[in-house]
Amino acid sequence: MSGTGATGGRDPMIEMQEIHKFFGPHHVLKGLDLQVERGTVVALMGPSGSGKSTFLRCMNRIEEPSSGVVRIDGMRINELRVNIDQVRADIGMVFQEYNLFPHLTALANVTLGLVHVRGRSRREAEEVGRAALARVGLADRADQRPPELSGGQQQRVAIARSLAMRPKVLLFDEPTSALDPEMVHEVLDTMRELATEGMTMVVVSHELGFLREAASRVVMMDDGRIVEEGPPSQVLGEPEHERTRTFLGKLL
Amino acid sequence: MNESEPSQASFLDRWRLRFGHLPWYRRYEGLLLVVAVWAAGGAWLLPEAGRPDLPVALAVVAWYVAYFLAVATVLVDREKPTWLKRIGSLTVLALFGWLFVRYSGTRWDRVQDQFFAFDRMDGVWAMYLQGLTVTLQLSAVAAAISLVLGLTLGVLRSLHHPVLELFIGLYVDFFRAMPLIVSMVVIFYALPFIGIRLPAFWAATLALVLMNSAYQTEIFRAGIESVTRGQSDAAAALGLSGVQTMWHIVLPQAFRTIIPPLTNNLVSLVKDTAVAYVITVPELLTNAQHAVVWKRTPTPLILSMFLYLATLIPAIHFTRWLERRSARWVAR
Repeated sequence: MSGTGATGGRDPMIEMQEIHKFFGPHHVLKGLDLQVERGTVVALMGPSGSGKSTFLRCMNRIEEPSSGVVRIDGMRINELRVNIDQVRADIGMVFQEYNLFPHLTALANVTLGLVHVRGRSRREAEEVGRAALARVGLADRADQRPPELSGGQQQRVAIARSLAMRPKVLLFDEPTSALDPEMVHEVLDTMRELATEGMTMVVVSHELGFLREAASRVVMMDDGRIVEEGPPSQVLGEPEHERTRTFLGKLL
Repeated sequence: MNESEPSQASFLDRWRLRFGHLPWYRRYEGLLLVVAVWAAGGAWLLPEAGRPDLPVALAVVAWYVAYFLAVATVLVDREKPTWLKRIGSLTVLALFGWLFVRYSGTRWDRVQDQFFAFDRMDGVWAMYLQGLTVTLQLSAVAAAISLVLGLTLGVLRSLHHPVLELFIGLYVDFFRAMPLIVSMVVIFYALPFIGIRLPAFWAATLALVLMNSAYQTEIFRAGIESVTRGQSDAAAALGLSGVQTMWHIVLPQAFRTIIPPLTNNLVSLVKDTAVAYVITVPELLTNAQHAVVWKRTPTPLILSMFLYLATLIPAIHFTRWLERRSARWVAR
């Protein structure tokens, strides 16, 4: 399934080509290209309204791109004949507001996709689910409902929910922005571990410390375009563009 | 006895300023005297039991209002003890009841043998059982069908498909605006003229279903739309299909908001079955009315009243219990 030949020897997990997105009359994404290599962590940053979240949401078509090509693991996914539900099962997504299902226990949140999408038996799913919760350090919270958990714990359950599906890639949409400062690190630690284990990740985040450490590449976006991209030492350390410099200046 | 009526607020204010340093019971010593005079005046002047003429009736009302104001004077004081609040309110209510019993002209002696003439009820109990059965059947069938229809239309409406939206919107507007009794009579008495004949029971069922499913459509739609976009995003990101998302994620959460209005709707559906009386469905009220004619006493009507209350008051408490139970996992 991987399309190595078509992309000149490299091995992209996600390939976005000429992505445009309109919300009514608003041109939000203006022809974006991006490749995410297997096993790398790509960070998207930029001011609010720059389109980074929308771009991320186009990668699993939670937001439908108006035009352009989205390829996951070599397969084009924005075509009519593609069963998008099957594709999304392989792409984990973690949201800013956690979006856990409040009427289900932590374990049921994690096993839902395994049972109803992957078709695993309930017992099997619970085994996998408990393992996923243990991996984010929440084995003892399996039977609690989301409202009984702290923000950081909820976000880690959300990560476990994605991990349990054994995704090829994980998308993070500002995973720490809604958290109290002292809970940010527990989520970032979990994400750092995933990165070192070789998980392919796309992260919308402004946590510069985390990006310096974990990101393979940082992409700076503004007004629906990519301003510059490169290794974090370059984009965060010696940015070429004035726009990036002023943005980073405001972050600090 | 009406010294507290003119410019009450400023009078109270002046009183408070003068007596504010005293404990609450010392502030109202004067008022206690007023109430004593009021009670004596009542014992002296109140007319005999029976329906009084208008001027006398107005005097009695004024006498009652005087006591009401005296109690209110104490009740607006924030430092009053709870027992005084309770006794004050209770006496105001009890006095009203006593005055009503005494002066409304009601023939209290007849209540027992007209409203509770159980000795004349031979053969009526069987009619009741029959009527109750029909009422329950009508309620259950109408509720089941309208729930299915309301849920279906509510889900469809929440999709915001323009064509569906138009048709469902028209349906909902039409049957919410239409009085139940009108659609029932039209279905049963008018439609036969154009060749559509329904038995009375099914005509009543149809009218109940049309109206209640219209209301329930809106209830379900509002409940579905109360579940945030993030929930369906998260479900979609896991790979759940639209139907799975609706079934496993959206509806269970929507039911939290749906339960109170939905159970209200079902309770009023049960009450509305009584309207089927006008199209001769042999339900509870119809049978009670037949028994009234047969036995020449309104007792059956009184009984059917109590029967409705005995069925529906527990139902209402059950809905409260459901509300409290579903509130347990309300998030954030």
